[in-house]
Amino acid sequence: MVLVWLLAVPLLGAAAVLAVPNRSAKAWAATGGLVELALFVLLWVSARHGVNWPWIAAWGIRFQLGADGLSLLMLGLTAVVFAAVLISSDAGAGRVYYFWLLLLEFASIGLFSALDLFLFYIFWEVLLIPVFFLLTGWGGEGGRSAAMRWLVMNLVGSLFMLVGIIAVGVLHSQLTGHLTFGIAQLAGTAWAPAVAPLLFLAFFLAFAIKAPLWPLHGWMPEAYGRAPAPVTALLSGVLSKAGIYGFLRVMVPLFLPELRAYQTPLLILAAAGLVAGGLLALRQQDMKMVAAYGSLSHMGMMALGVFSLTRAGVLGATFYMVAHGLMVGGLFLVLGLLENRAGTRAIAAMKGLNRSAPRLAAYFLFFVLGSLGLPGLPGFAGEYMIIQGLVAHDVVIAVIAGAVLVLAAWYMLRAFQATMQGPVGNVAIPDLLARQVAWLLPLAAVVTVLGVWPSTLTLPAAPSLYHAIHLLAAKG
Amino acid sequence: MLGLIEIVVLPLMGSVTIMAFGGLMPKRLPGIWASLVVFASFLASIAADVRLGHLSAAHRMITGTLGAWVTGFGPAIGWRLTLDPLSAVWLLVITGIGFLIHVYSNGYMHGDSGEARYFSYLNFFIFAMLLLVLAGNLLILLIGWALVGLASYFLIGFWYERTSAVLAAKKAFVMNTVGDVGVLVGLALLYLRYHTVAYPGLFHAFASAVPGQPFFEWTAFLLYIGAMAKSAQFPLHMWLADAMEGPTPVSALIHAATMVTAGVYLMTRLFPLLRLAPVTHEMIGVIGAFTAIFAASIAFFQQDIKRVLAYSTLSQLGYMFLGVGVGAYTAAVFHFVTHAFFKALLFLAAGSVIHALAGEQDLSRMGGLAKKLPVTMWTFLAGTLAIAGFPPFSGYFSKEALLGAAFNSGHYGLWLIGVITAGMTAFYMFRLFFLTFFGSPRDQALYQHAHEAPLVMTIPVAILAVLAVAGGALGGGLDRWLAPVFAQYPGAAHAALAAGPIWSTVLTVGLAVVGMGAAYWIYLRRGLAPTAGTETAPGRWMRQAWGLDAAWTLVAVEPSKILGDAFRKMERGVLFAVDGVATGIWAWAEDLRPLQTGQVRRYALSIMVGLFAILAYYLVRGRVIG
Repeated sequence: MVLVWLLAVPLLGAAAVLAVPNRSAKAWAATGGLVELALFVLLWVSARHGVNWPWIAAWGIRFQLGADGLSLLMLGLTAVVFAAVLISSDAGAGRVYYFWLLLLEFASIGLFSALDLFLFYIFWEVLLIPVFFLLTGWGGEGGRSAAMRWLVMNLVGSLFMLVGIIAVGVLHSQLTGHLTFGIAQLAGTAWAPAVAPLLFLAFFLAFAIKAPLWPLHGWMPEAYGRAPAPVTALLSGVLSKAGIYGFLRVMVPLFLPELRAYQTPLLILAAAGLVAGGLLALRQQDMKMVAAYGSLSHMGMMALGVFSLTRAGVLGATFYMVAHGLMVGGLFLVLGLLENRAGTRAIAAMKGLNRSAPRLAAYFLFFVLGSLGLPGLPGFAGEYMIIQGLVAHDVVIAVIAGAVLVLAAWYMLRAFQATMQGPVGNVAIPDLLARQVAWLLPLAAVVTVLGVWPSTLTLPAAPSLYHAIHLLAAKG
Repeated sequence: MLGLIEIVVLPLMGSVTIMAFGGLMPKRLPGIWASLVVFASFLASIAADVRLGHLSAAHRMITGTLGAWVTGFGPAIGWRLTLDPLSAVWLLVITGIGFLIHVYSNGYMHGDSGEARYFSYLNFFIFAMLLLVLAGNLLILLIGWALVGLASYFLIGFWYERTSAVLAAKKAFVMNTVGDVGVLVGLALLYLRYHTVAYPGLFHAFASAVPGQPFFEWTAFLLYIGAMAKSAQFPLHMWLADAMEGPTPVSALIHAATMVTAGVYLMTRLFPLLRLAPVTHEMIGVIGAFTAIFAASIAFFQQDIKRVLAYSTLSQLGYMFLGVGVGAYTAAVFHFVTHAFFKALLFLAAGSVIHALAGEQDLSRMGGLAKKLPVTMWTFLAGTLAIAGFPPFSGYFSKEALLGAAFNSGHYGLWLIGVITAGMTAFYMFRLFFLTFFGSPRDQALYQHAHEAPLVMTIPVAILAVLAVAGGALGGGLDRWLAPVFAQYPGAAHAALAAGPIWSTVLTVGLAVVGMGAAYWIYLRRGLAPTAGTETAPGRWMRQAWGLDAAWTLVAVEPSKILGDAFRKMERGVLFAVDGVATGIWAWAEDLRPLQTGQVRRYALSIMVGLFAILAYYLVRGRVIG
């Protein structure tokens, strides 16, 4: 039942902030985020029983939630990043802003715990709406067109997925005689060779667009660019993981033979995205876009881990989702603080800010180092496991993945050094306030612990991690 | 296990406390605290080494695991620390020399606005370097490996308001990442085959393997790339000369005595793997020899006192890899030890010169400083004689051991390069020595104000000078101490120190005398300026390090930028398509205007309301029926 509470609290919180005056909305929302975090801790130590209620009986749809190793990690990521975002958001943003944020948290929690495909789809769609309104309402000039791109591309993807979901349900019922959308029940079904590629593609497109994987990232640059920093932190820290999570939760159980059949092109696609993202990041003149394209590159890294179809790779991708979510979330939040102070995001307009804001620079550097995969921080552990998985399949791809780490060091340090170091310019900015350090420090501490002991996550998660790993283990 | 953790954790604690509370500490405290912490680590290292020495030769290893680092996809990789005679040698040098350089820094950095930050970084470096050598498996080694790179990045870019320092730091970090990736992929391949990356497990497996399989060549090569980047072997060497942007004690500690020798440590550590990869093993020697002579040639015409020393470090590292390549592992370690003594000495003495001249590093503004800086002159001379390989100074013994092994093992080409380089070394080092301390002062104003460094700086230098003079006496002991390591697994049959033919020694020393004489003749007797010869074509070529920086820009930096721009163009095409679809939908929505409001946000809102209604309805109904 903890899981149901975990789902209910953000929804209740969303309703609550609409009822309170604007000036206390943030306090309510932040409290909601912290309660959610506490509930997650309770879930982590408790028995983690899921729920499985009948829902739309005629269609075999059930209200089924669960928290296995994979879900648990994603729920934790959601709870932590949302708490940080709610706490760090502007108090003057108004209650509607917090309403959408909490609704987004509700949808994310639902998505990461749903075990029925139909329920999964509903949360998948609900997710689009708060982001749409956050972009139009708080994305400033151009937020509207960013929101359009977001909605159009994601709706295209999810339409395909809806068709796919109905098709797998119906096809499965023809084979077995009963209609169900439970992922566990659908897993391992042998789809007819004529439709299998189409089904595969329907799901693949939806997940690849959401992540996004290059070159399906058309909505990303503008959405990441226009959204206020806390929303960007959510988009890249939490929502982008929905795509990779979809690969693991849905595609590996349902389409393992197809994944094996298309493995080489999939690996090439992911590797191309990894390289393209890195090279694009190198050429950006806007520090937020450096992080955005770096994130695009890292999505390719996660996809490589999944498509390696090895235990190490899949575990690595899972771990990397959490690591990347925390670090890129932190990075975007710090960049937001910097943007607020400097009034610009152009790399060329800033220099030598370390002098006036050493603490800000230190946290900036911390998240930069995490993002570039410094050993000792958790990104490295994820990358190591992914590469460990890749060498089992193809050393060349592993070397390409490694080479992009060099690129990452380059573009990340470029952005840091150009803004923070060098001769002091005529702009000085105020340093971090104590209340900002109060949420940055715990975030950095969590990140450090995960980097020094990745086994804090891999140890409890791995044995019962999820169906996918057992499938892979069975096949060697 | 107990005893190893303290060695590593003490400097980390020092670094963290100074980072957190340095601002609150009284002025001198960060430096004193940092030095004390390293000294404590040094004492703990001695205690651990003594304990190690009491173990029987066959089991001379202390090891322990602090739980799993990562697990879940195969046998766990642990937080494992190991002390054996090989890491023990590094341990003493890192903490011992590290302590001396910490003390020296108390004088050198005094009054710098970033003093606390400096000592925090310096302690962090000691921590990372100790982690690297005490790591019990390749993964923990890689963590230390990358963290020393980070410390190096911090300290090269210590004066972060200088653009050149910032760029040098970035270059060092990125080039070292190339090496990190090599180690990463190499260890992943080893784990794939053997399900472990701990040394004993791997070495047991290697002992029964057949040499020459491509798998071993590739893994050895990948790990060698790591060594190449960290130890600045050609062609990944350019970052080291630029790294001289950091404060001089940093150059002494990180970019001469310890960190840059990590590659030698890794290759020596992995000698059982090198046995299985004869081609890579041979290549290590060849590239080492080439780096030695190549860097020596660049040092001929440098104008900056620290750059000469940087290229001499490159050259000496080349010697060490030459030793690794011919299987003379003990000699390579021996040269590491003596080099740590005399190169740390040379850098610290050079630091005293720079300190005396208010930051001036240009040779063309020095000269005649022997009168003003007698202690520094004499200690610098000791270092110069040691690096040039004059008997009985320490460098003579270790270099002889290396060249003797090259000759005895039939690597005559490598031997010849080593001998010639010895002569070149004597030339450029004495050029540096004479131009700095003798002749007439080329800048009167600087000369007038020059003054000898305070005791806190000269005492560490004097201790190092004693070590540089007498360090050669350690050879025999080192040979016996390391013998159990190399006897444990096959692949180190020629590891022990052995003398070459006597005429080889005579030739090497003779060439060194000629080099010294030439430097004397050119720069003192004829009194040529430091810039002499640099405008000739070969001089320019050599001074600019053979144009390799430009070559790297051409093959790696520019293509990346061009590709990045190409991807940007391509992306605009994709966006154009997306907008086309969006506009189409918009137009369609406009057509339906009589029926609808035409506002997408209304649509979105209604989708959501509808979804919620359905959800709530069935949730309630489902519960009631169920």
